[in-house]
Amino acid sequence: MAAQTENEKALAALIIETLNLEDVAPDDIDPEEPLFGDGLGLDSIDALELALAITQKYAIQLKAEDANTHKAFGTLRTLNAYIEDNSG
Amino acid sequence: MAEAAALAEQLPRHAYVINLHSDRYRYLRAFCAAVIAGQCTLMPPNRLAHTLSQLAETYPDSYVIGEDGDEPPISGVAGSAIPAIDPEQLCAIAFTSGSTGVPKPNKKYWRTLEEGAKGNARLLLGSDIGELNMVATVPAQHMWGMEMSIMLPLFAPVAISDKTPFFPQDIADAINELPAPVALVSSPIHLEALLRSGVKPNRLDRIFTATAPLSRKLAINLETTFAARVQDVFGCSESGILATRNPSTEDLWNYADFFDLDATQEGIRIRANHLPEDVLMPDIVELVGDRQYRWLGRHADMVNIAGKRGSLADINNRLRELDGVVDGVIFARDEQAEHLAGLVVAPGMDVSDILRQLKNRIEPVFLPRPIYKVDMLPRQETGKIAVKAVMDMFNQIRASKAN
Repeated sequence: MAAQTENEKALAALIIETLNLEDVAPDDIDPEEPLFGDGLGLDSIDALELALAITQKYAIQLKAEDANTHKAFGTLRTLNAYIEDNSG
Repeated sequence: MAEAAALAEQLPRHAYVINLHSDRYRYLRAFCAAVIAGQCTLMPPNRLAHTLSQLAETYPDSYVIGEDGDEPPISGVAGSAIPAIDPEQLCAIAFTSGSTGVPKPNKKYWRTLEEGAKGNARLLLGSDIGELNMVATVPAQHMWGMEMSIMLPLFAPVAISDKTPFFPQDIADAINELPAPVALVSSPIHLEALLRSGVKPNRLDRIFTATAPLSRKLAINLETTFAARVQDVFGCSESGILATRNPSTEDLWNYADFFDLDATQEGIRIRANHLPEDVLMPDIVELVGDRQYRWLGRHADMVNIAGKRGSLADINNRLRELDGVVDGVIFARDEQAEHLAGLVVAPGMDVSDILRQLKNRIEPVFLPRPIYKVDMLPRQETGKIAVKAVMDMFNQIRASKAN
């Protein structure tokens, strides 16, 4: 499993806390594993909850072109990169 | 329509087509092309590979369109009139998950779709129809999306956006692209997310919501925040759109005058001229007066997660089909829980293995969360599983994990 950066670890903790994922520790989330569908197995309910948590914490709005490309926020790594690119 | 007619010439020659376009304009164009070519569009309940291959097996004379974008570009040719279509032509089949494990087909003939669309225009838009510009968050492959974003624009002065926005910012952006008056076609889960995000479109005149009843609190909040007229819409794949209400003031649903509803032994029977046969409502309702009903809940087998309808029997069949699963049950915990829960007997398997296999067969929203391994399910002598015993077992495990 690829190593997590500090920011990725913080994001992993946010995901787990927001979505009440039992039995998953921040360290368990492989930054290059899919978050939705496969991998962590998040669904559309989670995507919306997570988007709200990210808005509240990082003051940015997630965007995707349509319901299918929200999978572009595919991994912890790409999601974190999106947040970093769009913050401040 | 000219583009659709041109595309119709180029379609592979099969009886059935599975339209997976995510761009709404392309979906509409391909759907019309299929109708012109005399082909029936299959509407799978989800896009899982397993579902699609099961569908292809049941309908071997079919092909998929819209997956890899190898279609003629949009030329922007001006529209022309809708050609005459045989009212008895089978144009679409909407599938709902059934307790037998095979999706249940609901046939839509042209006259059902056309008359339904015209009826919906009367029911939802009334006589104050000027032009309305609409954006929908629901995909065209879902009946709510099909009726509002594909069929309605064909027969009413409604223009539909090609976008299918997901996140609140996407929804606001898509609305802001449209000239006034603007309507949003969506569902409670997206509307709630939109409200909580604090994002506001420049202008929103009407909101149509369906797939689950909208709470009064949410409705009032939407009206106040967006100054939009909110309409809650009730429908099912079997009958199409059936009823509407103002969710901020009304508890009862008002059903359209082109439907007859009767209480029978098996449930509420829906009859209408444009439906090929009578259908039974999948919900439990109490008829009130001439044209109203009160919604009481779903039949025990049905669940609604994130606006998606599923059959618990179907979900459980799929769980028990998995290699290594000896026994198991997936169930709805309570109204508050957002997800289903599960207990499974699968010696030698990790929970993650079970979920990995299950993901191939059921949609993400129906995956149990959490799912616990147990040695044995609390089955009675008859072999039946008692709901209470399952809940007790589940709660015990959950409590012990919290300690």
